[in-house]
Amino acid sequence: MHKGAIDIPWLYLVSGYLLMIIPLAIFRAYKTGLEKSTLWALARMTVQLLLVGLYLEYIFKWDNKWINLLWVAVMTVVASYTVIKRTGLRLKLFFFPVFTATVLSIVLIDYYFLGIVIGLKNIFTARYFIPITGMLLGNSLKNVIIALDAYYTRLDEEETSYRWQLANGATRSEARLPFIRYALQRAFNPLIATTAIMGLISLPGMMTGQILGGSDPMVAVKYQIMILVVIFASTSLNVWLTLQFSNRIAFDAFGNLRKEIFARPPGRKLKRGPKGRPR
Amino acid sequence: MNGRPVIEVRDLRVHYEGLTLFGGLSFQIRKGEKVAVAGESGSGKSTLIHTLLGFVPSFEGQVRIWDMPLDALHIDRIRKLTTWTPQDLGFTVFPSVRELFFTPFRFKANRKLMPSPQQIREIFDLFELPPDILDRPVKEISGGQKQRLVLAISVLLQKPLMFLDEPTSALNTEIKQKITDFLLKSPEVTLLAATHDEYFLSRVSKVIRLANLSDYA
Ligand SMILES: Nc1ncnc2c1ncn2[C@@H]1O[C@H](COP(=O)(O)OP(=O)(O)O)[C@@H](O)[C@H]1O
Ligand SMILES: [Mg+2]
Repeated sequence: MHKGAIDIPWLYLVSGYLLMIIPLAIFRAYKTGLEKSTLWALARMTVQLLLVGLYLEYIFKWDNKWINLLWVAVMTVVASYTVIKRTGLRLKLFFFPVFTATVLSIVLIDYYFLGIVIGLKNIFTARYFIPITGMLLGNSLKNVIIALDAYYTRLDEEETSYRWQLANGATRSEARLPFIRYALQRAFNPLIATTAIMGLISLPGMMTGQILGGSDPMVAVKYQIMILVVIFASTSLNVWLTLQFSNRIAFDAFGNLRKEIFARPPGRKLKRGPKGRPR
Repeated sequence: MNGRPVIEVRDLRVHYEGLTLFGGLSFQIRKGEKVAVAGESGSGKSTLIHTLLGFVPSFEGQVRIWDMPLDALHIDRIRKLTTWTPQDLGFTVFPSVRELFFTPFRFKANRKLMPSPQQIREIFDLFELPPDILDRPVKEISGGQKQRLVLAISVLLQKPLMFLDEPTSALNTEIKQKITDFLLKSPEVTLLAATHDEYFLSRVSKVIRLANLSDYA
């Protein structure tokens, strides 16, 4: 390995934490009540990252294809679970579509990027496979959440528009089209915006890390560009596949949206039953 | 096919939590008939139309449309023969009136029906829709305009079976009569409309009266 960044001795790391006195003092002065949650967040962040560091150290030491794959599988399960939990959709029904879409999009994009663009002989090399896959997973997560939520919430709210299309000759996929379009717009507008200002306001985290790690800035830039492209590709594939796979479980044999897909007892029931509902 | 009724309903019941609609309703509608469904608000007029379009799969009883049973196997074929103007007109998933208007004509089943600019001008004229309405956002047009626009789409689709849910509820008297006459004009089209409009009721050939909910109890 090359030069690498200067290690931070543990004692100095502690002295670094002293910087947190600034936010804590400000929060306290204005009686914001944020001190406790700040300390809690700081503690969680520290423990979580130390754990990651610990197991990454082992993963890099062993550098075993099967262990790496197992790690990615576990991360994908956790990611799928997190996605569904944040959407108000039913975990039991949506786990399989989300999980399958995520695995497929990651396998495809990893293979293309690591095997062809970077030209690795063994794409499962921990140094590349783990961080790239982690990055893809983490970044597609929020877009999949936005897309799923936008899609099913909108289908439910605008059920009449969906049914109107069916009753006027649409196939089921034709009737879903405006809703998929809406979900894609909601999920990708933010990513397009951040991509467009990349490098203007701040240095991207991955690039900063690489430069600190001793890389030539131009090499770091090339990786950063590729990472953004790869994130874009895998995220769109993941979102699209998730919507397609979930379509298979979200509608009944007559093409109606199944109400059982929603986990939360929705406040929408009240809205639907029109005016004269006797009670 | 000609001898059989277009719609055949026998012993229909729909159960919602805590209430049962229709109490075993039976009726037949023949080709070209114009039928109104009347009844108080909440008596199930909309639900009847929804059921016939396959949106209430849990219904109880026998329903045949063009001699096809209303089931998962036939519903797609049935829906190719229908047009529907719903009662609740949200349609905000469509970004513009233009998108809303042209969407049904881009369906594979309807592509041959794409109206020419001439046809669009004529029907907009008849329904008193301003020509520039196509360039407005859906949110910015009035309820009455939206209703006339969706009715115009239903007419242009030239389907043999037309379901209309309170088609004239947002229209003023003058235009109401003109549009009612126009909707009921075509002898080929079989039409079922939920309405409590006096003029509409006076022009149809048959009225199905739904009982009040309390009458079933
Ligand atoms: N999806 C539904 N779930 C539960 N109850 C419903 C649903 N749709 C309609 N209802 C109830 O069924 C009854 C009939 O409603 P509706 O068909 O809209 O009547 P109408 O069109 O005659 O006013 C009402 O009491 C309504 O609250
Ligand atoms: Mg109604």
